[in-house]
Amino acid sequence: MSGELKDKVSIIGVGCSRFGDLLATPELVGLSLQELAAGAVQEAMEDAGVDASEIGAVYVGNAMAHSSQLPGTYSQLSKWIGMQFKAGVHFEAQCSTTNVGAAMAAMAIASGVYDKVLVVGFESTLTKPKELSPYERERISSEQSWMWTDYAVNQAYSVPQGYDIFSVYNGLVAQGYCRKYGYSIEEFDHAMFELCRTRRLHGSMNPKAAVQETLEDEAKRLGYDDPYEFWTSKQNPFVAWPSRIRSLVTACDGASAMVLSRADTANNAPNAPVQLRGFGISQGDLPWYAKDPTLWPSDRIAFQEAYAMSGIQPEDVDYLHCHDCSHISSICAAEQSGYLPAGQGLSYAEQGRLRYDGDRPMSTHGGRHAFGHAWAASAGSDTYEAVKQMRSAAGKRQIHPAPRVSMIHTHGYAMISTVLVLERG
Amino acid sequence: MPESIIKRYYDELGQGKLSARKCNKCGAYTFPPTTACEHCGSFDQQWEELSGKGSLLFVSHGIAPPPNPRFDEMAPYAYGHIILEEGVTVEAIVKDVEPTPENLQALFESAPLDVEADPVNVKGLNVLAFKIV
Repeated sequence: MSGELKDKVSIIGVGCSRFGDLLATPELVGLSLQELAAGAVQEAMEDAGVDASEIGAVYVGNAMAHSSQLPGTYSQLSKWIGMQFKAGVHFEAQCSTTNVGAAMAAMAIASGVYDKVLVVGFESTLTKPKELSPYERERISSEQSWMWTDYAVNQAYSVPQGYDIFSVYNGLVAQGYCRKYGYSIEEFDHAMFELCRTRRLHGSMNPKAAVQETLEDEAKRLGYDDPYEFWTSKQNPFVAWPSRIRSLVTACDGASAMVLSRADTANNAPNAPVQLRGFGISQGDLPWYAKDPTLWPSDRIAFQEAYAMSGIQPEDVDYLHCHDCSHISSICAAEQSGYLPAGQGLSYAEQGRLRYDGDRPMSTHGGRHAFGHAWAASAGSDTYEAVKQMRSAAGKRQIHPAPRVSMIHTHGYAMISTVLVLERG
Repeated sequence: MPESIIKRYYDELGQGKLSARKCNKCGAYTFPPTTACEHCGSFDQQWEELSGKGSLLFVSHGIAPPPNPRFDEMAPYAYGHIILEEGVTVEAIVKDVEPTPENLQALFESAPLDVEADPVNVKGLNVLAFKIV
């Protein structure tokens, strides 16, 4: 195994819908999934300055067929995204889908088979077709959505015996972190409050985020002058002690897309291309960690492979996104990447150093809590944000100076650790 | 007729047994059992029963109502991170713990705690669970 891309590959175009609710969010209400995906594709194609004739293959990702009810997704979508008669495939790596798609595209391009590949991901976690209607959708309950989502988790032993993502991904990891590094539960709770404030601040500056209200404004709206009093109130209950609901994912509907190209023709693109320097992918079935819940073997391997393929070191990374369905797990992953020092992630969060204007910015789009999470589309939304940041096109939440090297880590249920390394040309 | 490893695991759990596979190549346990060794990938394994005794490191809880309707009547329940005597990591239901913040804080402060397997039948399926001893 060479562990390298034989040819240079760039991301030349990115697209992303607003994340939200197909039944309530103004930009999304009334859209079919075909139209939702097409919007992200159109944005990516225009961003790349290419037309359909230049695309060699299409990789379409959708994780939860129970809500989309669109198996054969790649062919069902082809007319809607202008890609009839192209080679392609429907694939999924759950919440790592779109970035695994980027890695697949990079391999196809570096091998010389295609010059340009389109990657698409879309998901509805909140709705499903209403009574077989081609255009009407209806609400699904949170439990139903999680049951379908959990079909991606060990169905032989874990789910049948009471597995629950909230304890395994949040509460147990939080306790492991506190025990290992000597944090009290109260200190942990306050750091999680500050981390949520940061994520919500980022969301408030992002017109595509699902949640654009700061934590402070939400507290005021619900009658609390002191946002920390709100944080510790019954309005913000423990979902898996000591993790509260606002340290967790906001399930959404959404779509993302990206166009990848041979790097030697990428300079024709109207917007600055970003080189995909390398990637790492590793999968670990439950339990995701052994004695120490802060160290995940699949993350360690994915980061190692991404560093090795890209030839960079942790100190080269200017911007990091770690999958933050669970805020404490994202801190553990960031520490494992070397972006944050081991045991200091909570302190960095407490001090605001993970903000867009801090010295270790993370998840500037708002992350899974504020930007929201639409399973197969989310990794693409993280890449979208990194590309915008690297092009100095992130608006009010722009990092200064713009990152030269970005690293994007995602967890695809359960658990596909995926890391991309991007570099500005 | 071929024997399903999954069925055998659940059947034997009903007899109070924790049935694992031990690898004849690397010597490591795979628990719960699968067709290949989870450590080295070898298919050359043999059955072995684990002691069911271990150490509870952390305990949290899940949501209610739960995603899996099998647990409708139990949720929210305590769910723990356990290392068995044989070195195997297990995450499972912890019985007889009401998952209030106060109780979980007390367990966090007193862990690690000795536990032993005490499987429970939930709507017709034998499910691994532990009790603090």
